[in-house]
Amino acid sequence: MKVFWKTGEPYVLATGAALAVILVMSLTLIGTVMTNGLGYFWPRALVQFELKDGSRVLGQITQQEKNPLSGERRLQLKVGNRDIFGQDFRWIDEKEITARSLPADAVLLERREHGNYFGMLKDVTAEGITLTAATPYEKLQQARKLVAGKIDATAKIKKQMSDLNYAAESIRLKLQKLEYDGKEQNATAIAELTAVREKKMAEFTTLNEQATATLAEIGKITARMTDAAGGSKEISLTEIIALQRPNSMSFLTKCGAYLERVRELLLDDPRESNTEGGLFPAIFGTVMMVLLMSVFSLPFGVIAAIYLREYARDGLLTRMVRIAVNNLAGVPSIVYGVFGLGFFVYGIGGSIDSLFFPERLPTPTFGTGGILWSSLTLALLTVPVVIVATEESLASIPKGIREGSLALGATKFQTLTKILLPMATPGIMTGLILSMARAAGEVAPLMIVGVVKLAPTLPFDANFPFFHMDRKFMHLGFHIYDVGFQSPNVEAAKPMVYVTTMLLLAIVVIASSTAIYLRNRMRSKYTTSTF
Amino acid sequence: MAQNFTDKSRRNDRLAEILIRIGGLFVIVSVVWILVMISRVALPLFYPPSAKIAATVKVAAAISSGKVLAIGSEENQQGAFLLDESGTFHFFKLADGSLSASIKAPAVPTGATRLAAVEYLGKSACNLLWDNGAISSVAVALTSAKAKDGTITLTHDVSVKEDIAFAATSGVVQSFARPIEGKGAVRIDRLSGDRLRVSHQLVEKDLLGTEKRTDTSADLTDPLPGRLSAVTVDAKGHYLYAGTDTGWLLRWDISEAGTIKLLESTPASDNHKAITSLTLVLGDVSLAVGDAGGALTTWFPIKVAGSGEDRRLTRIHTLRANTGATAFIIASPRDKTLYSGDSDTIHVDHMTSERNLLTIKPPAAVTHTALSPKGNSLAALDSSGTLTVWKMAIPHPEISFGTLFGKVWYEGYDKPEYSWQSSAANDDFEPKMSLVPLVFGTIKATLCAMLFAVPLALLAALYTSQFMSPKLKGRIKPVVEIMAAIPSVVIGFLAGLWLAPLIDKSILSVFMSIVIVPLMLLVTIFLWKRIKTASPLQKVTRGHEFIAMIPVVILGIYLAFLLSGVAETTLFAGDFKQWLFSTLGIRYDQRNSIIIAIALGFAVIPIIFTIAEDALSNVPRNLTAASLALGASRWQTAWRVVLPSALPGVFSAVMIGFGRAIGETMIVLMATGNTPILSWSLFNGLRSLSANIAVEIPEAPLNSSLYRVLFLSAVLLFIFTFIINTGAEALRQRFRKKYGRY
Repeated sequence: MKVFWKTGEPYVLATGAALAVILVMSLTLIGTVMTNGLGYFWPRALVQFELKDGSRVLGQITQQEKNPLSGERRLQLKVGNRDIFGQDFRWIDEKEITARSLPADAVLLERREHGNYFGMLKDVTAEGITLTAATPYEKLQQARKLVAGKIDATAKIKKQMSDLNYAAESIRLKLQKLEYDGKEQNATAIAELTAVREKKMAEFTTLNEQATATLAEIGKITARMTDAAGGSKEISLTEIIALQRPNSMSFLTKCGAYLERVRELLLDDPRESNTEGGLFPAIFGTVMMVLLMSVFSLPFGVIAAIYLREYARDGLLTRMVRIAVNNLAGVPSIVYGVFGLGFFVYGIGGSIDSLFFPERLPTPTFGTGGILWSSLTLALLTVPVVIVATEESLASIPKGIREGSLALGATKFQTLTKILLPMATPGIMTGLILSMARAAGEVAPLMIVGVVKLAPTLPFDANFPFFHMDRKFMHLGFHIYDVGFQSPNVEAAKPMVYVTTMLLLAIVVIASSTAIYLRNRMRSKYTTSTF
Repeated sequence: MAQNFTDKSRRNDRLAEILIRIGGLFVIVSVVWILVMISRVALPLFYPPSAKIAATVKVAAAISSGKVLAIGSEENQQGAFLLDESGTFHFFKLADGSLSASIKAPAVPTGATRLAAVEYLGKSACNLLWDNGAISSVAVALTSAKAKDGTITLTHDVSVKEDIAFAATSGVVQSFARPIEGKGAVRIDRLSGDRLRVSHQLVEKDLLGTEKRTDTSADLTDPLPGRLSAVTVDAKGHYLYAGTDTGWLLRWDISEAGTIKLLESTPASDNHKAITSLTLVLGDVSLAVGDAGGALTTWFPIKVAGSGEDRRLTRIHTLRANTGATAFIIASPRDKTLYSGDSDTIHVDHMTSERNLLTIKPPAAVTHTALSPKGNSLAALDSSGTLTVWKMAIPHPEISFGTLFGKVWYEGYDKPEYSWQSSAANDDFEPKMSLVPLVFGTIKATLCAMLFAVPLALLAALYTSQFMSPKLKGRIKPVVEIMAAIPSVVIGFLAGLWLAPLIDKSILSVFMSIVIVPLMLLVTIFLWKRIKTASPLQKVTRGHEFIAMIPVVILGIYLAFLLSGVAETTLFAGDFKQWLFSTLGIRYDQRNSIIIAIALGFAVIPIIFTIAEDALSNVPRNLTAASLALGASRWQTAWRVVLPSALPGVFSAVMIGFGRAIGETMIVLMATGNTPILSWSLFNGLRSLSANIAVEIPEAPLNSSLYRVLFLSAVLLFIFTFIINTGAEALRQRFRKKYGRY
């Protein structure tokens, strides 16, 4: 036993335990995010409870635990119907329950407002259309199919309206500029443009009226619903986004519903102050910002790495550059945010505004947070990642290759561009991907230089000049913070946050795994093992 | 052709070299640039204030020969006015001293012939006390506009303010009149023979809109500890303050019509110098007191031991003294700045920061002084009849090293404190910008996290580099590296919304785990010994021990969770948090330092692990081989040979981890309650410098004090992490040099 302790085997086990703790923590993190995130979209059964006091409750079971006060087991139900009950969730003690059932015709309505509605469908009042189906549920589905074309048409009108709006807005800005340059000289131009603008506005108004009329027409078709508490409610068809009867769905239809929700998540816009609907603008914003960032950080990082590895002689200057690289990597990200705000947004952005858009002041164009400033700030933040990876890959190229190239009469630059850089490409890619992963997950600086909770327009669209560098954008990481911590109904928003977290985590983990895989492959390609 | 090609290649080569060198140096430039740019925003906090004479005008003898009662100026130092005894406002252009207009005060009360005194109310309003004791109130508007060709036009107007109008009364020496919001007005008179009278003029409107006026007046009956030497009233007409020639301060409650209630009397100084002037500082909480010895102090009522619920006036701030008797004190309408003066100098002081901002020497003894409504120009009329106007530039009077890093006695507080509270609903709020609670929060969070992360990360790195089988090592290292890529917002979210409620339910299990997991480990070690000697598994387990440890850890945590439930019911009456509060008096926050330790620790573990593991692995293998060959066990080799050799690298890993923890924003923002408190308790939250920036900067107006202070905290963070990173890098370079030749 004494020898056992002396040789230190127990300590080895202790160090092993430390590693085990770290791995358990990581697995717990991933596991928590996965279980909470993946389960959210699965159509869960609507359970109806009859309670001792005679009341009935319909909802989805979300949690079970011991009541901290009484020690009894209790259930957390998502009862939905926020507009009627005031709250989405309700705790029920198990001993209060006298009966539970799964009513086959219980309907889940996803609504445009107030969250989900759980209840029974009684009837469909159809005005202007004839419904042939037998049961109310089928009637409702039929009605939805019948008006689908009209809804598409209104969507098209809405699109036209937003284009018109955009056109009118750009004319307004042009007018503003003309007026600023001199009201008298440009009087004719101003008059012309005003006329065009008024025409657009008039068109906008007519289209708006059309859309409203169509919607009003659809709105006359309503579903009469009753909830578990006995109350009834007329819900107009325009309110309903999707409906399902989770209790009478087969496994396959549930899978279909699940996939449909995933599609909605990836491709639709958010609803209900980001707590429902899709994540499309946030995904798009994140990707746009990261790509734009790479455009800035990649050349800078690669050049700096080439300097350090191929051109610099070992000396004070090189050491200083290395210290600078390390500091760029080590300075807190929030400091970059502060720098971005002071230098890019108010400094450069403010100057651009006063030089090129003085007519719009005091409304800032570039002098406020936007995607360009965010990308530049993050580019600075991620440059060290590119530098380190590129340098490493350059270092791993055997010296003989350089010497061979130089011996054949190539210049240093030719060696670099024709031999070294192609060979180092996987390493540079590693750096690029790692920097993208870092940028995708960084939130603190973005909060200061241009991320918003809800951006009305994407930073890239069909309107000239397509890229709108001055626009604010949405970001997955900020979405997590904002929805999870700043939304008024955190409990109801939680599933959405888990889903967002899962998505972000998946992006980052996949990106970094790819990068690490590339790097390791490259390492084993060139390095020969020693000893 | 060939020659051309070679030339071109050479030219390209040289050009590329220059460009690449510039690119490399750009890294240094950007680091320096970041520091310069953020410092440049923070620096104006410490710029000295200045007062420049904007204009000097010799007032025409015709005007200055009569008695001048008041003066005033406007924001751009282009116009000024004098009010003479006849009640006429004379407006001047300051550029050339020409008289722009003379306007007689409107609505002169009946029977009044000349002005006796003027009281400036702030926001351009003046109360005029006439010789017969009547009071009227006027608003003086004076603005200047600059046309494109540089000509300056003044606009001026004197209008009646209807809410204050009092009829004649006799024997008045000095008078104050205050409107009472929607209910009428109150006037406070200092009558000859040291008497005070408070008269309320209340107007009540009934449902039909008919007004009912009630007049009440009350005379002061309390005996005074000396002769009255200075009197002032707050803006709402609730409190009346007076000072005596024997140095006593008195305070009355006059908020109720018909009563004057003496609240207290306090000696203002030990040497009983006569009080010469009294003024309320913006916000009406603090009273500025000047005495015949030139002392300038500010007072406000606080709870004193032995006085029960009553608050008593207490000397809070002592500002720089004047040499002669304090002749006047003017409070700035914008902040807590005070202008005070004796016969030949004017001092500008800030109350909260106790900073002496400026000392202005007027050309001759000053008879009247006034501030413009926004407080940025100071006008003074001296005995020679010259009107001087200064342009005041006091960018951030409330900020000093004292307010940023020292204890400050804020209004309404019972003692000096470190406090951060940057904004409030009202304008006259005293911003509290002490960086101490934030620096403290940063250090607390970092220490907690490091305490959790460093042992785990270093031990795990030691295991991975020295004991783990190479094949597994190739898999585990990337896993930890991917862990490093987990966005901090994800960790923060889980910590705040998943871990915090979980731990909140069973806080004891955390402490239990700390005891039980090592215990379990010890048990396993003994079992291990048994298993190992008895089984041929030895060869297989070597290098894979940690896999066996995973279930041990999980089991340990699970046991701790179970046991904590038992312990809570038996030892702490079922509720540990309640017990904590009732027995130890410790408040429990759901988002506390334990959460931060785990979450922030989790974030820095991969960083420390990766760097330390690299350092440990880079120790030349011939050292370990030699040690093993000499018969040392693998642990002895790792502990006595590898670790000491790699110590600089390991140390630099810890430092880099430290640097990361200091600057981490999202985790701290989400997993703490962001309460800027000074408490070492593990059960309380905190607010760190970085989270503070993230919380406050979206609401900080451009170039305000708050904005600059936030930039200053970014500078602090930068410098702090710069020192740590540079130190770590120096250590690492040294380490590399030491083993570089192998």
